Amino acid sequence: MSARGVGGLRKLGSVVRAGLRSNFGLATLKHRLLREKKDRWLVPLVGAAGLGVVPMFYGIILLIENVYLVLKPMGQERALLSFGILAGQILILLFGIYYVIAAFYFSRDLEFLIPLPLRPAEVMASKFAVIVINEYLTVAAVVLPVVITVGVLAHAGIGYWVNATLVYLALPVIPLAVVSLAVVAMMRFINISRKKDALILVGSLVLIGLSFALQLGIGRSAGNGGPGASAQSVAAFFTSPDSLLNKVGAVFPPGIWATKAIAGGFSGEGLANLALLLGVSLALFAGMVVVAEKLFYRGLVGLTETTGKKRRLTRDEMSRRVSSGRRAFAAIFEREWKIMNRTPIFLLNGVLVSVFVPAIFVLMATINAGGRGAAGRGGDPMVLLKAMASANPLVVVLGAALFMTICGSINGTASSTFSREGAQFWISRTIPVAPREQAAAKFLHSYLVATLGVVTASVVAVVFLHLSAAFLAPAVLLSLVAGVLLTAVGMMIDLARPLLDWTNPQKAIKQNLNVLLALFADVGILTAVFFGVKALIKAKLTTGAVLGVVAAGLAALAAASYAALLRFADKRYPAIE
Amino acid sequence: MIELTHVSKSYNRGKVKAVDDLTLTVKPGEIFGFLGPNGAGKTTTIKLVVGLLRPDAGKIVVEGFDVATDGLRAKQVTTYVPDYPAVYERLTGLEYLNFIGDVYGVPKAERLDRIGKWLEIFELAPVVTNPIQSYSHGMKQKIVLAAALLPAPRVMVLDEPLVGLDPRAAHQIKEMFREHCEAGKTLFFSTHIMEVAEKLCDRIGIIHKGKLVACGTMEELKRIDRTEAGQSLEGIFLELTDT
Repeated sequence: MSARGVGGLRKLGSVVRAGLRSNFGLATLKHRLLREKKDRWLVPLVGAAGLGVVPMFYGIILLIENVYLVLKPMGQERALLSFGILAGQILILLFGIYYVIAAFYFSRDLEFLIPLPLRPAEVMASKFAVIVINEYLTVAAVVLPVVITVGVLAHAGIGYWVNATLVYLALPVIPLAVVSLAVVAMMRFINISRKKDALILVGSLVLIGLSFALQLGIGRSAGNGGPGASAQSVAAFFTSPDSLLNKVGAVFPPGIWATKAIAGGFSGEGLANLALLLGVSLALFAGMVVVAEKLFYRGLVGLTETTGKKRRLTRDEMSRRVSSGRRAFAAIFEREWKIMNRTPIFLLNGVLVSVFVPAIFVLMATINAGGRGAAGRGGDPMVLLKAMASANPLVVVLGAALFMTICGSINGTASSTFSREGAQFWISRTIPVAPREQAAAKFLHSYLVATLGVVTASVVAVVFLHLSAAFLAPAVLLSLVAGVLLTAVGMMIDLARPLLDWTNPQKAIKQNLNVLLALFADVGILTAVFFGVKALIKAKLTTGAVLGVVAAGLAALAAASYAALLRFADKRYPAIE
Repeated sequence: MIELTHVSKSYNRGKVKAVDDLTLTVKPGEIFGFLGPNGAGKTTTIKLVVGLLRPDAGKIVVEGFDVATDGLRAKQVTTYVPDYPAVYERLTGLEYLNFIGDVYGVPKAERLDRIGKWLEIFELAPVVTNPIQSYSHGMKQKIVLAAALLPAPRVMVLDEPLVGLDPRAAHQIKEMFREHCEAGKTLFFSTHIMEVAEKLCDRIGIIHKGKLVACGTMEELKRIDRTEAGQSLEGIFLELTDT
């Protein structure tokens, strides 16, 4: 390699290293933990949270083992690998859209990177590397348990493990390169428009819609045994070795290459598929670099410049637009609402997640119904639910309430509410408004987003699952009460250690540890409720009594957590430096 | 009036002393200029006064309200302009001013008059309905200043308020400083521009390594060093912060 080439690689290496350090806040973390000796309490907390998921992973591994043992006699065990890999790739595709848009176009370090003597492709490659590493962490929970469990159960040789490692390293490249190409092309045209934010939002929704459609295609391909699929046709399908794997792979071929590369090990088939996967990954990456060189800066430069028209308001217009004096609570609520809804990254990751989660459920139900549109026509989910209802209405109400609560609380709006203020937090700290009043206004905003999730989930429950009013009403009530508790807990977690020094809005919400910790807390709370309900059932209480006790308990906890939030705000605000 | 009594603040668990036993009074009707080299403790002192930081020791009183125990009332009479105009970029200029007017409880008639006045002075009237995101650095600085002036506070605390402003805007700010103090109000600001401090301030404080090394009127400061170098603020500053 020429000296120039080596110099170029070194330069790229430096940019990638700087990007990684900045993205993961390694320098800041080291400084805070070792020099300032702050946040040390986080270490055991994160450790405990990590230990907390061990039982869950144990359960997942048992499930994988059972599925493997069922599929093996039918010669379909490789389909398990392909499902794990495909699930990982779809996850990368879905989350990649957020990551790519945020990292390529909204990261504040771009202001420093663009003037440096770097080629557009080098800047983009460094950002791409950071996203790839982020994605390794995202998909680890989905892909690794499957690959490791199957490998262990199959007593796989060295070829399996070497290829699995290489496949894992290459896994995010194809979906991310595809997303990057789409995003770069999209941004090139958005940048010439005046309505950039709206177009970014619409463009992202279209890309997310496409990835959903792809997932739907995969699901249908895998699950559809043909019109009028019967037990016999399903059995016939399963008796053909690898038929399932091939069906899945037909929709997203890299999934099949990855599976065959791992399962084949050092055999001809394994190495050929590995070469195919790595070759296509490299080719797509190279294509992305070429496109980046031509389009990246054109889409980027000037993106943050919003050109407003210059127009002087008349005295009358000014008088109409100048507020006549709202209460501070209303002003803060309106500020939260406007900033969240006008920042595409916040809107996508916060408010719209409330809509996406129920939509994903509908998608899954459709897939489970074998692509026959069964959910809409009184198919499997409804039949199952009706059967459950006749057997135990309590399970239906609590199950629906759990679904609605999850849809309402999974969005991260509450657990990033303080972090989202970022460098502007000085305003909240210096205005003459009591912290408890500010927290109350923020609570209302977060709670309304949670309510949006509950409402969307209710629509799904009524339209797709035909849940009757008798079940819907108590379920909605329970989820709204639980929403108060989870919103307050999420806000307290964020308030304990708000992430205010972010340079990329994505970090405030999507890559914010507080959002993850709040999610763990939510799981913990809901698990405690589950065990509480089990105890009540064991005590032979009637359905009404169980629901009453659960509602009363949740209401008491909700009231206590809200009061605790306000007290904590008064205590914590002055201490945030 | 701002009173700091034996105020100390350190970072890194006491390893870095940013402000060391600082005692200082800024009287009503006074423009007080706060000078010091980079890292001397100017911004830390300012943040302590507006309640963004908590002192390790000492007491800070603003207009009779203890910042530690009566912080809300101290905030009601104080506005602050930071050294970097980090504002809500997704709001329009007018929405931001409305927000500040609401949280400080400025009545509509006064709000309308003041917004009109400051928008004209700062030449922001034609862009006030545009998102702050579309403003230049100087325009952002101006909208933060307009917001700080909107409540007509009794105390204004400003960290490097002239950085990033064009000469016309800087001139207007200086005029505003004078107007503010002629109404008997207090103004405390940090600057690196010696000429501004020398011409504008009633009194000047020089902080070095967290300690107040000089404080007084220009005439009082000149008496510290009677040599020729000691007759300009720049000379005095260089002399006192030489180590």
